Amino acid sequence: MKKRFLSVLLTGTLALSLTACGAAKEAAPAAEPAAETAEATEAAAPEGDTITLGLIGPMTGSLAVYGTHIQSGAELAIEQINADGGVKIGDKAYMLTTEVKDDQGDSTECLNSINALVSDGISLVIGSATSGCTSAITSVANSEGVCLITPSGTSDSLTTTMDYVFRTCFKDSFQGELAAKYAKDEGFSKIGIVYCSADTYSAGLRDAFTAAAGKLGLEIVAEESVASMAEVDYSNQFNKMVSAGAELVFTPFYYDVMGPYLVPQARQAGFSGVLLGADGVDNTETTIPDGMDLSVYNDVLFVNHYATELATSDVSSKFVTTYTDKYGETPNNFDALGYDAVLVYKAAMEKAGSADGAAVQAALADTSVVYDCASGTFSFDETGTPIKTGVLVGYSYEAGASEVTKTAIKVLSVE
Amino acid sequence: MKKENTAFRYLINLVAIIILMVVFVVLSFHSNNTLKLKVAPAVWQCCYLIIMAASLNLVLGYLGQLSLGHCGFMAVGAYTSALISLALQRAGFYTEKNSIQFAITLIISIVAAAVVAALIGVIVGIPALRLKGDYLAIITLGFGMIIVNLINNIPFCGQQGLAEGAASSALYANGLGFTNDEKQSFMWVGVLIVVLCMTTMVMFVRSKFGRVIRAIRDNEIATSATGNDISYYKILTFVFSAFFAGIAGALYSCANVSLATTSFAFTNGSILNSVFIVVTVVVGGMGSMTGSVIAAIGMFLLNYTIKNGSWVNALPEFLKNVFTYPMLVYSIALVIVILFRPKGIMGDKELSLFDIPGYPKRIASYFKNKKAAKEV
Repeated sequence: MKKRFLSVLLTGTLALSLTACGAAKEAAPAAEPAAETAEATEAAAPEGDTITLGLIGPMTGSLAVYGTHIQSGAELAIEQINADGGVKIGDKAYMLTTEVKDDQGDSTECLNSINALVSDGISLVIGSATSGCTSAITSVANSEGVCLITPSGTSDSLTTTMDYVFRTCFKDSFQGELAAKYAKDEGFSKIGIVYCSADTYSAGLRDAFTAAAGKLGLEIVAEESVASMAEVDYSNQFNKMVSAGAELVFTPFYYDVMGPYLVPQARQAGFSGVLLGADGVDNTETTIPDGMDLSVYNDVLFVNHYATELATSDVSSKFVTTYTDKYGETPNNFDALGYDAVLVYKAAMEKAGSADGAAVQAALADTSVVYDCASGTFSFDETGTPIKTGVLVGYSYEAGASEVTKTAIKVLSVE
Repeated sequence: MKKENTAFRYLINLVAIIILMVVFVVLSFHSNNTLKLKVAPAVWQCCYLIIMAASLNLVLGYLGQLSLGHCGFMAVGAYTSALISLALQRAGFYTEKNSIQFAITLIISIVAAAVVAALIGVIVGIPALRLKGDYLAIITLGFGMIIVNLINNIPFCGQQGLAEGAASSALYANGLGFTNDEKQSFMWVGVLIVVLCMTTMVMFVRSKFGRVIRAIRDNEIATSATGNDISYYKILTFVFSAFFAGIAGALYSCANVSLATTSFAFTNGSILNSVFIVVTVVVGGMGSMTGSVIAAIGMFLLNYTIKNGSWVNALPEFLKNVFTYPMLVYSIALVIVILFRPKGIMGDKELSLFDIPGYPKRIASYFKNKKAAKEV
């Protein structure tokens, strides 16, 4: 019996020590804004009420980077709005707060999260990070009359028929088009594609890229698919790319496989051309294994929503400086898109003169409104997707440097 | 005396089931926001988790074979029912979910899901069940992954479904997918299906087939020596189990408006995956149907309340950190159950309504015996 209690104690301590390590890293930035917003709401309490925005995203699990960054971006925006006197509806000022739910990147959990938010009386929701999860909750948003802005759900079909669903990012078909345009402009003639036919994001991008490439007259010399987005072996695919003579390979994958597997294996297979990805490639620098030859990351490019260096408007440069001050790191596109979702809600609430779901939806559906946001100035098209530009970002490595650098190369647009 | 007692027990159980059904039918027609947003989705999720755990228990607990690809059958069921219902919807067979046509669609979808999953069960079972132990586990593991990848690459299983879809991990359109309102008004249907499935499974286990498969678990050679065709019984159980996993899949597509193959993977972030179903069965007790039900509901409630309950916020700070990583909590719970109750919550006994009054006494005597054993 003693042994049993001892072992339980041991597991308990192990678990606690694990979370202590994890929490120390995460809680430091997360706890701060929470405390600050709490102070802000306390200070504002006599003036007026608060409006709670629901926030759903993968806060734990393999896609946790997305959720936590959307959260920190959104919390920064809320803090700034509250410091400037809150959201003015009529002649009353309201403070903003968030209620955060973790969906672990699973659609059932995501559905439970939005139901819990709705039953708490929240009618403005930001979420979720991935297209798969977001597709599971769009019908709830519509049937319950809750506004939903997804910061990074890029799948085309999310916003087409849904009245209450909007987004602050561009959609996949547009991203694919931008990538094809880049390949054409730079004069690449032999294009290869390595993608995952089993994934909405990857397959959607591949379809858009192929369609645009066809229109622009690019020749696709080889196309290979892998079994899953978590695949760890890409050597066969890239051997085929090399033997087909591809100069540029389009690789719509996420950062978690780009750093450790895809890029090094592509180079090992003898592919020396350009690897062109989409927004999922952002953050690859965080997944490069120690001791890796960093020169392999030269010529890894991707289409992105946003780049700090190309931030020109007041809103975006303010966002970059305040974010860096607050969290001690440069923001990535999830921070910017989460930040934008809050700004869009603020503008819509003030325009509607109400925080009610239906009223805000009507304000958001007005395609003439121009939103001045961190990721650029945009207005919504009739489906609720922003009309904006993209940015081409690339990794490069100089001999002797200790890490790869990420630089924005140029602004991409279809026109 | 024994005979009368049995009849009386059946009667009491029947009454209990009727009361349960009446409660859910009443709840289904009762309009309330909490019911609609929290209880109804939770009941639906419990429904498919219970059937999954109980059907795996047939193979794992009663037949004694480890199957790690059970969610593969569920995926087959889910996609079959979603696509059939979608086809009927597109063909204009039904437009509203409150119609007799939809009831027919629902029945067709569920039966088709079960039959297709059972057929796949035959195909997998015949070669797989020639193997034993670890090898069978590996084959079923492989099957689970193959199914997910197959579905990913079938051209009509993605996006908007049927001809309008591209092969992809997410099917956005689903004819069965209930909205919150429909989930509530059809809640009793889900419970009824669970009751029917559980009854069938319990009857199977108690039948002559059930006795043979338990004999196979306990001693394969002896069973074979008594003239039983071992392969036949193994495949029968495997197919029977796949059949119910298919039904669970159909319930899953009722509960979700979009399907993604990651939900049926070997492991993922949620509590619905092949490994977790095995864990549920082990926690509930291998060879106990009621144990599976208790464990499935318990695991669901643990998961659900960690995310959406208020009690986590009431915990001291250092404990709250553990609860931000739900997977850690499950593993601790599992370690505790295995340490203190290696056979699982119910062991291989069934929970009977008649035993409940005796439980306080039994627990008291359990601790007394422990104490006595220690003193000696």
